[in-house]
Amino acid sequence: MAGEAQTPLLEFRGVHTHYGRIPVLKDVNYRVELGEIVCLLGGNASGKSTTMKTILGIVKPTTGQVLYEGKVINNMRTAERIKLGIATVPENRRLFPHLTVLENLEMGAYTRRDPDGTAVDLERVYELYPRVYERRSQRAGTLSGGEQQMVAFGRALMSRPRLIIMDEPSMGLAPALVDQSFDTIAEINKQGVAVFVVEQNATAALSIADRGYVLQNGRVVMEGAARELLENEELKRAYLGG
Amino acid sequence: MANPFSRVGEVFGRVPRWVYVAAALVFAIVFPMLESYGLMQTLWLRLGTRTLVYVLLAVGLNLVLGETGLLHLGYVAFFAVGAYSTAILSSPRFDLQWNFWLIMVIAMLLAMLFGFIVGIPSLRLRGDYLAIVTLAFGEIVRMTLNNWEWLTNGPGGIPGIYPPVIFGWVVDQPAEFFYLLLVVVVIVVALVSNIKNSRIGRAWNALREDEIASHHSGVRPTQAKMLAVVMSSGIAGLAGAIFAYYQQFINPTYFLFMQSVIVVCMVVLGGMGSIPGAVLGAVALDATPEIIRQTFTTWLPRAVGSDFLPAVQAALQTDFDRYRMLIFGLVIVLMVIFRPEGLLPNQLWRREVHEEDPREIEHTRQHLFDFEEGRQDLEV
Repeated sequence: MAGEAQTPLLEFRGVHTHYGRIPVLKDVNYRVELGEIVCLLGGNASGKSTTMKTILGIVKPTTGQVLYEGKVINNMRTAERIKLGIATVPENRRLFPHLTVLENLEMGAYTRRDPDGTAVDLERVYELYPRVYERRSQRAGTLSGGEQQMVAFGRALMSRPRLIIMDEPSMGLAPALVDQSFDTIAEINKQGVAVFVVEQNATAALSIADRGYVLQNGRVVMEGAARELLENEELKRAYLGG
Repeated sequence: MANPFSRVGEVFGRVPRWVYVAAALVFAIVFPMLESYGLMQTLWLRLGTRTLVYVLLAVGLNLVLGETGLLHLGYVAFFAVGAYSTAILSSPRFDLQWNFWLIMVIAMLLAMLFGFIVGIPSLRLRGDYLAIVTLAFGEIVRMTLNNWEWLTNGPGGIPGIYPPVIFGWVVDQPAEFFYLLLVVVVIVVALVSNIKNSRIGRAWNALREDEIASHHSGVRPTQAKMLAVVMSSGIAGLAGAIFAYYQQFINPTYFLFMQSVIVVCMVVLGGMGSIPGAVLGAVALDATPEIIRQTFTTWLPRAVGSDFLPAVQAALQTDFDRYRMLIFGLVIVLMVIFRPEGLLPNQLWRREVHEEDPREIEHTRQHLFDFEEGRQDLEV
């Protein structure tokens, strides 16, 4: 799927970010092509979450450029980016626990102004996850981990995104559900949505990804096709428990 | 703990909501007539009028405290801004008697401007910090009113506020003020209900639930909070402007920190995020102390004989304000124990306070039953 497309969907060009005077990302370059799954690996405090925040516009780069479809979006607000087609599945899912499942999904379409299109996408989400449909009037906090995961994915899909960024989607899930959630990611991807996924679970993530980046101390120390990364000895020692 | 309210609540819950709204409206319309036909002392009509001012304040603060989840402790400052707008623009102080409508607009806009100004630094703060900053703001406004003698006449206050003239109708009787306030309350409640169920209302609730997740959904947190604060400030300014007309005299002691606390108590008592709750909370908290006072100083002595508990009578007559706060405290403590979600909670808050929703427990029970009966496979 990777292909040598003309303009990448998302691109980081020499991005630096700082929290106050403390540097986090240092000269980072990423590229996500249309319809691709890209996986970002890295230990704690390597800059993974900051990467997510930079894509969403919650953190702004101090130097360098973030491009979406070839356009610089450095100073664009989060809401505008969502309108362009970037959606998130945040760390720990962060559903609105006391709103119903339906209300959670509606919040996913918050930036949209087309009720008809939103209704179509709601049907699509229900089709994809019949369980979510069953639970639609239940409050999200009472769902099981797996169901919450589906709602989080569904909420992201409600903005009809072209790119979904996911922050540790397998965190806190039962082992059986971890595989299932990666299957779901692959399924979402098949509908033409590019996925940029941050994961600790490197093997599972790389097995569905097209390409991967390894982040260490705010720098990209390794990048390449997912298959190559899976076989890389150094990476195996560090992340894959080899 | 067995909840003594739950069974009563079930019965009352079956009656459709519009019946309550209609009943409350009819009561409110008839209420001043009781006074004019001599069935009720003027004291109660005055209390009712003051209660309507509190209703406005509670409904306004509910936007910030209940819907958006921001603890704002300086709310009375906006009320003061509205009241002083009237007092300055319609009294002998500067020999002005501006048009009623113009003053309403000025009072609202000025209060909204103040809300905006205090919002700029404070809405980036969360929880306790926001509470402290807003509390300080309330005190700053009161001290300014107390010391800016040229404009406000300081502690001496502004007397002799002219009555409002609305399309040639001079409003100067308690009953007239009651109806004027009632109209304003109905309009404000209708507007606020609409906003609550709109896109911005959903954004407020999402913010209260999880600020980060709502930001990720495209809500602009600071902007949405600012809108809640500015709108609620406008409502307080409006309430203050009418209050000053009604009172005819205001000074800074009407705008003590305690007033902000009382309005917070009303919103909490009624049920955060619930408009009917805010209305009921204001009525309950404003009327209860007066009813208790009347019970001990008038009704019981009349029924039992005038020597009934003379110490209590004397205390309630001389130091009533102190006991009023005692009664407030008692009501709030009882409520936190027995009904933490408030008297008329919003569905959302009911879910939040009680960990389990009884309907969900019933659902689970049914589920297990079906499973045991072999009607359904166990789901993970």
